[in-house]
Amino acid sequence: MAQITLEDVSFRYPGATEDTLYGLDLQIENGEAHALLGASGAGKTTMLNLLSGLLSPTSGRLLFDGNDVSDLPGRERNVAQVFQFPVLYDSLTVAENLAFPLRTRGVATDMIDGRVAYICSELSLGKIRDTKPPSLSLFEKQLLAVGKALVRPDVSLVLLDEPLTAVEPKIKWKLRQTLLKVQKDLGVTMIYVTHDQTEALTFAERVSVLSAGGILQTGTPTEIYQSPANEFIGHFVGSPGMNFLPCSAVPSTTGDRIGFRPEWAALVDEGHVDGTVTRVRVYSTQDSKAHGLVTLMTPHGEVFVRGNAEFETGMEASVRIDRCVTFQGGNRVADIAHV
Amino acid sequence: MKHSAVKHSMSRWVLVGYGIYLAVPLYWLLSMAMRTNADIAGDFSFFPSAPTFSNFVEIFSNPVWYQAFGNSLTYVAINTVLSLLVAIPAAYSFSRYRFLGDKQLFFWLLTNRMAPPAVFLLPFFQLYSAIGLFDTPLAVALAHCLFTVPLSVWILEGFFSAVPKELDEMARIDGHSFLYFFFRIFIPVNRGAIGVTLFFCFMFSWVELLLARTLSGAESKPIVVIMTRTISASGIDWGVLAAAGVLTVLPGILVVWFVRKDLVKGFALGRVS
Amino acid sequence: MVLIVAFSAVIPLMTVVNYSVQDILDFNTRFFVGFDWYRETLNDPRFIDAFWRQIGFSLTVIAIEIPLGIMVAKGIPKTSRYTPLILILLALPLLIPWNVVATIWQMFARPDIGLLGVSINALGIDYNYTASPIQAWLTIVAMDVWHWTSLVALLSFAGLSAIPGPFYQAAELDDAGKWQVFRLIELPRLRGVLVIAVMLRLMDSFMIYTEPFVLTGGGPGNATTFLSQYLTTMAVGQFDLGPAAAFSVIYFLFILLFCWLFYTSVINRDET
Repeated sequence: MAQITLEDVSFRYPGATEDTLYGLDLQIENGEAHALLGASGAGKTTMLNLLSGLLSPTSGRLLFDGNDVSDLPGRERNVAQVFQFPVLYDSLTVAENLAFPLRTRGVATDMIDGRVAYICSELSLGKIRDTKPPSLSLFEKQLLAVGKALVRPDVSLVLLDEPLTAVEPKIKWKLRQTLLKVQKDLGVTMIYVTHDQTEALTFAERVSVLSAGGILQTGTPTEIYQSPANEFIGHFVGSPGMNFLPCSAVPSTTGDRIGFRPEWAALVDEGHVDGTVTRVRVYSTQDSKAHGLVTLMTPHGEVFVRGNAEFETGMEASVRIDRCVTFQGGNRVADIAHV
Repeated sequence: MKHSAVKHSMSRWVLVGYGIYLAVPLYWLLSMAMRTNADIAGDFSFFPSAPTFSNFVEIFSNPVWYQAFGNSLTYVAINTVLSLLVAIPAAYSFSRYRFLGDKQLFFWLLTNRMAPPAVFLLPFFQLYSAIGLFDTPLAVALAHCLFTVPLSVWILEGFFSAVPKELDEMARIDGHSFLYFFFRIFIPVNRGAIGVTLFFCFMFSWVELLLARTLSGAESKPIVVIMTRTISASGIDWGVLAAAGVLTVLPGILVVWFVRKDLVKGFALGRVS
Repeated sequence: MVLIVAFSAVIPLMTVVNYSVQDILDFNTRFFVGFDWYRETLNDPRFIDAFWRQIGFSLTVIAIEIPLGIMVAKGIPKTSRYTPLILILLALPLLIPWNVVATIWQMFARPDIGLLGVSINALGIDYNYTASPIQAWLTIVAMDVWHWTSLVALLSFAGLSAIPGPFYQAAELDDAGKWQVFRLIELPRLRGVLVIAVMLRLMDSFMIYTEPFVLTGGGPGNATTFLSQYLTTMAVGQFDLGPAAAFSVIYFLFILLFCWLFYTSVINRDET
């Protein structure tokens, strides 16, 4: 495990006219579970490859525990990676696959056996110890890939590249939980790259939101969710994302626009903004009243409100905003906890 | 920027070494083609002492030679066209209506390929004589079909199966006739596959000797026969022979060049794994 | 269309089998002789000699061409602007008429006018492939390697190109050595391709006719007379249809047998 630092790191592919990644500054603590969240094309893969040693930064430095590894080849960085599909040695058994990264580094056999046994128990791989990958399910294979990444006790960093992609949808949660558990148990520095915000926000202690080659914000899931650094994050994170209204709609605010999450508002008779209900989705009942997501069409566009769903399409209602974030020029100005 | 993980330096040397091994005899062929017989018979030299095109001129002006080339190109062309004409509909049927499985197709191809051409000498000789096709390019083309048709069907079926059946249905829903679909949509989509198949048909037919020789008499002697008979009273005319050799390599280069993109694509998607 | 193909293969085969069990003196005089010709062929010492020569030849060239082809393939850069050129150069020997291949090697290896022949003799070694059986063998093997290694190389290259990048990346992070990468990642994924390559080389080398015939004529003496040449001499030269037909059938069955043996041994290993 190591502390990972990116110091003003930029990268440009040979022959490209622009940087793919520019001026990245990021510090990830030893043992931290960190997520890199971004849409396709944001630069996530490039960043992964810089960390794993497949690529070298065009400028800036990459430090592991303060040591400059920018030009070190992958095999000398003590990094492990889990890919989108299970990358395993099909001709070796589960136990042999796990032992492989240790054997190549000349670790003593009894230490290898011990470590393999430990990982098997941690990940419940014991039953399939002597099976070869072609006979395993996708879930088991990816689990083995995770085990292989964790097998070295001194691994500086484990990179996960959208590891749930290939796993059967019904079991994705299981793999997610396992990852959370082993990360806590082993205290390994993990960087989890994904475009799925649920994965990012549930897995990580801290999240970095990546867009168009730059890091927009780094913070805890709560910070990202409740205090997005700019309108893009406010919109991208959350399902649905933030609602945006001009500040003029809420008198006590200053700036260009305010953003508020669907659950930070309520539908009343007289609120800040009026609108007509266009859609009601009921998700549960509370106090024998329907609860869910109501879509309203207002003069400023569509607004989503989460809460009391005792409405029908066509009804008139008013949105009372209880909490919001103010933005100026797209960037966050202030959090307003009570409007 | 660092590239792929494992360096292939030894393999690179093997490739270079092998490339040289390939190139040197080819250079020698070219060098012989550019020498007069006097030059060849005289002192040995790495480069031709006085490079000349006279051998090539001889070939282009001597009907024995250029007609032989013509004969060869004829039966190769006929074979390629015939094979494609037969194989494309066949492969389409196999890919859409699985009445012959993939394994059986492969097995059929293999068994045809496994029979030594020498085995077919007699029967073909008699057969084609009997129906009066002996000593025509058509005979050789048909005989080659024995090998090229199964190969073509196999290659094409692999590619055709990769084209989703939805394409056929969409065309039908759009109101197109089957012919329209087949010629205006399906074939263009599979240009690459057809290119690869064309390459293999050409390759087989152009290089084969035994059947070509057996089934040709005086009228339709192909180039491969003329070259193996160039032993006159005064010894072998090496210069002309070499020039003819060079000219037989050229069509191969041309065909490969024209279908190179299709080949690369075909290799990537294809039936090899 | 199935008819055309049947026309091509089945009828001739049937004709051959037909002839193989008859003694044909002339078109109208034939006697059914059962398996006589088969017995005679299998006991013919020249057949047996040609057969063993053939086996030796096939095994030798396969043993050289497969590993060499794989190594050459590994050396081809996957994403360089030179890659298409390299592939074309490698494809060249496969596109040359087989007699021209032999003619090229004739011109190349002859001790009087050949670059190779003259060079070897200049080094003090007495090289003349028309006189010495061992040298004839070496030259023919060298020619076959020149001719066909490219097939193995191109097939292997296609197989290697299909391996996704992450496998190599993972091996790098595992600190795996080159040999381990080959044994654990590349070889298993090349299996399908290599089976095809070996079968093709097995069949084609077993049927080889043109190249040795043009280069050495089967000589010196019988040193390089392989099965196809012997069969052709019998069938065309001597016009004795019965024995020739029996020979043909035996020939075909042997190839079938070897391919089947090889194929099932590989498939069985796959299934464990």
